[in-house]
Amino acid sequence: MARTQSIVWERGSTPALVLHVLLLLLVLGQAVYLASRHRVRVDLTSDGLWSSTTSTRDLLAKLDKRLVVEAYFSPKEKLPVAVRETRAWADSFLDELVQLGKGNVVVQRFDPNADKAIRDKATRVGVKPLELRSQSSTSLSVDVHWQGLRFVYGGDKNKVVPQFAPGSSFLAEAVITPAIKEVITTQKRRIGYMEWPATNPQGAQAGPLGWNVLRTLDGIAKRYEFQNLKDEDGALLPDDLQTLFLFRPKDLTDRQKYVLDQFVVKGGTLVAFVDAAEYMVGPQRTMTKVPLALDANGSAQKLTDQLLHYGLDWKPRLVADLMPDAFQPRDLIQGRFEYFAVPQLTPFGQQLSPIEYPYFFHPVAIDWKDVAEQLAKDNAGKVDKELAEQYRKLFVPGMPSDEFVFQAWKQQKRGPGFYWPTWVGLRSKAGGAPDLPPDVQGRVLLWSSPAALVEDPPQSLNPVGFGDGQQRLDAYQKFRSKLRERLAAEPRQQAPLMAEVRGRFASFFAGQERPKRASESKEEEARKAGEAAKEGEQKPEDPAKVDPNGPPKPDAAAPEPTVVAEVAMVERGDKPGRIVLIGDADFLRDDIVRGDYAQAGGPVSGRSAAPFFAQMLDWLAEDKDLVALQSKVATDRSLKFVSDTLDPNADPRLQEQALRRKTTWLRTLNVALPGALLAALGLFVYFVRRAQKRTFLTSIG
Amino acid sequence: MRETIVVFRRELRSYFLSPIAYVFGILLVSVLLYYVTEATLQNGARATAEPLFGTLPFMLVLFLPGLTMRLWAEERKLGTLELLMTFPVRTGQLVLGKFFACLAYLAIVLALTIGLPLTLGAYGKLDWTPVLGSYLASLLFAGSFVAVGMFWSSTTRDQMVAMLLSLVSLFVLYQLGNPQNIEYASGWMPAWLVDTVNGLSPHKYFVSIARGVLDTRDLVYFACFCGFFLYANALALETRRTKG
Repeated sequence: MARTQSIVWERGSTPALVLHVLLLLLVLGQAVYLASRHRVRVDLTSDGLWSSTTSTRDLLAKLDKRLVVEAYFSPKEKLPVAVRETRAWADSFLDELVQLGKGNVVVQRFDPNADKAIRDKATRVGVKPLELRSQSSTSLSVDVHWQGLRFVYGGDKNKVVPQFAPGSSFLAEAVITPAIKEVITTQKRRIGYMEWPATNPQGAQAGPLGWNVLRTLDGIAKRYEFQNLKDEDGALLPDDLQTLFLFRPKDLTDRQKYVLDQFVVKGGTLVAFVDAAEYMVGPQRTMTKVPLALDANGSAQKLTDQLLHYGLDWKPRLVADLMPDAFQPRDLIQGRFEYFAVPQLTPFGQQLSPIEYPYFFHPVAIDWKDVAEQLAKDNAGKVDKELAEQYRKLFVPGMPSDEFVFQAWKQQKRGPGFYWPTWVGLRSKAGGAPDLPPDVQGRVLLWSSPAALVEDPPQSLNPVGFGDGQQRLDAYQKFRSKLRERLAAEPRQQAPLMAEVRGRFASFFAGQERPKRASESKEEEARKAGEAAKEGEQKPEDPAKVDPNGPPKPDAAAPEPTVVAEVAMVERGDKPGRIVLIGDADFLRDDIVRGDYAQAGGPVSGRSAAPFFAQMLDWLAEDKDLVALQSKVATDRSLKFVSDTLDPNADPRLQEQALRRKTTWLRTLNVALPGALLAALGLFVYFVRRAQKRTFLTSIG
Repeated sequence: MRETIVVFRRELRSYFLSPIAYVFGILLVSVLLYYVTEATLQNGARATAEPLFGTLPFMLVLFLPGLTMRLWAEERKLGTLELLMTFPVRTGQLVLGKFFACLAYLAIVLALTIGLPLTLGAYGKLDWTPVLGSYLASLLFAGSFVAVGMFWSSTTRDQMVAMLLSLVSLFVLYQLGNPQNIEYASGWMPAWLVDTVNGLSPHKYFVSIARGVLDTRDLVYFACFCGFFLYANALALETRRTKG
């Protein structure tokens, strides 16, 4: 190098020097360009945030027809920089699709801004333009850009993503892979449902509150077909129906119970979201109980007895969980209204801050045996070893199941949020061991923490009362103290929140006369009336007793019965049935899912209810295609300077002080220690050198 | 190679024998951690070192010129550069020795920030691999800025001039990777030029590695960027040597 350069310098020309530098720039630029074309990348994140999942790979491997992806994209160079970044992710993921599709995936790119016909087609298929403001030194304008996708599978089925601007490869996959799943789904799975609307909040617009929002979500409605099977007549359910959902059953007649019984006895899957009580979210979020009866007037059989017969123990009582980790919202930015927030004065003015409301909580995915010792501490902090041992035997993990429906939740260490949940467990013997019917297996899928309180639903569950300012604060302190006193007085217990039984069920109505349909009852009444009339005709009638204005006499030639005879009761089925009982229906309720109370401070369940409902549908259908994608949730990496799971009786103010002390100490240590270390090293070097200098000066006299 | 190591050892030793290394290190680490810990160490916040590595590039823009200004300018001012040039060492070896010594010193200073990730790891589930990737990205980023600073230091005998030139050029390079500036530039610059200019900024490639993806493109970029400025540095010294 030196010899070559020296030749150049000897010539000493500036043009040669410039040429030298330019050539070098050219070579290096080319190297960077080639490196960007042929890249090898390694995702360093342990959650694989920047890699595609097996869901995408497996779905693409299933393609038996050509999947055409029509990309309605404006040219990249004309996009604003922020959108250009999202285009990079979109392009990268589409390239990966083509590569993984092995010839079955074709990406066609169109620029709607270049051709009116393409623009018209994009609009017609449902792609929406991005209208973005662009600012230059002299003007402000609104530019129309396009970045939408249409997936066409086998020439007929299609799915449109109107606007697509992913901020990462994971977000690109989260949109594209479910879209591919939708478009390649050949047959929608039919799911029957029955719902009993809830009472509308006071002051809200009239109309029943149902469970429609989640059922009609695009990603769900395109893959599952929901059919309302709540029949006034009480007809038996179709034999080909595999799954039936019940949303908050109430006022059930014996006939309705019989219909459900025959459904599970014949091998159907019954999923019931149940509530022990209905609480109306009134103005200022006053939580007032509305009458709710599980059994209709005149019903001879109790719904809870029927479930007990199948092996499920539903105690229609409320469950509250006083473990901080169970009721505290984890996402303080987006999820603070998930439970209950009230206006509080902060340094930034009045803001809605989450408060403790243990009737809204989620199951926590930890093994509660592990904290048995901490929970067995007395007020002085001494561990009662005998009690700890007892707890170790008694306590179970909050999410014990490894079923794929819980995979994502277990990674997040918490299940979906429940609101005023109820106890749904397995039938058990006196000692607590399961007591299931023959040929039936069962398990509890979700548990509360050991700081659960179980009670009959009170009339009001408003934590802050109806007053203003100090009165509300006092009411809240009283509400909280009362719960904590009760917790201290009662033995620790975990409440089951979701349970499942499977097997060949015997009919609850075996050996009894089957309840009749409404039409059958009517017909029977009509027949009896006819018979009575016939009997009357046979006797000579006293004309004086005949009322001329009374009802007409039954026609002697009345038509024959029109009601179709029903199949005989099946007392024990051949196929195994399945019942899943979830101890809450409110978390799926339209008003709470939609976020109607977000402005007031909650509760809002959409962030957890929607994924749980979608994953549950896939679980019931045993469709594992999207599991890897759904399970790809970031690990819970929240910092915990004080433990949330321990000592639910501790004073929150003391905990807050301890937290403040600890964070201040850690911050100080982190800022001061590195500088102090370097300073110490500097001083050490200084003194060593000074000593060396003195020694040297001494040695030379 | 042996000559490069000799220069490297001499330079690294000189850092720790002069107060500037300590003043620079203490100031950089303290200011950086002061701004970062407040946002990072919060109960309930995500255990991530992103604030640390998000703030670090700007801190390097502010502090690095103070470190690199003396690398050649001081030698010239004290007249030791001529002496150095008489040693049986090639200019390239001199440049590489000084560059790696500066980088090693910066690595030691960066290592002093490890306390923060350790704290995060103690109180939360810190994903360590991206943190290590971010340290690598920081070192590559710092290396690219050191190369620029060294180049300017080789062009003048006045340390203040070298520092100002470094400060301006590093600030410009840093800002070229800022999406807002690119957005503004795209209003009046042709798209290809915007892309080219954006592609010049080391900040863009630093962000790419720091988010947790190790990409050969980014590594090649840093290698080329450092290589270019170090070569330019050697050229500048050679020119001076030739011209006397």
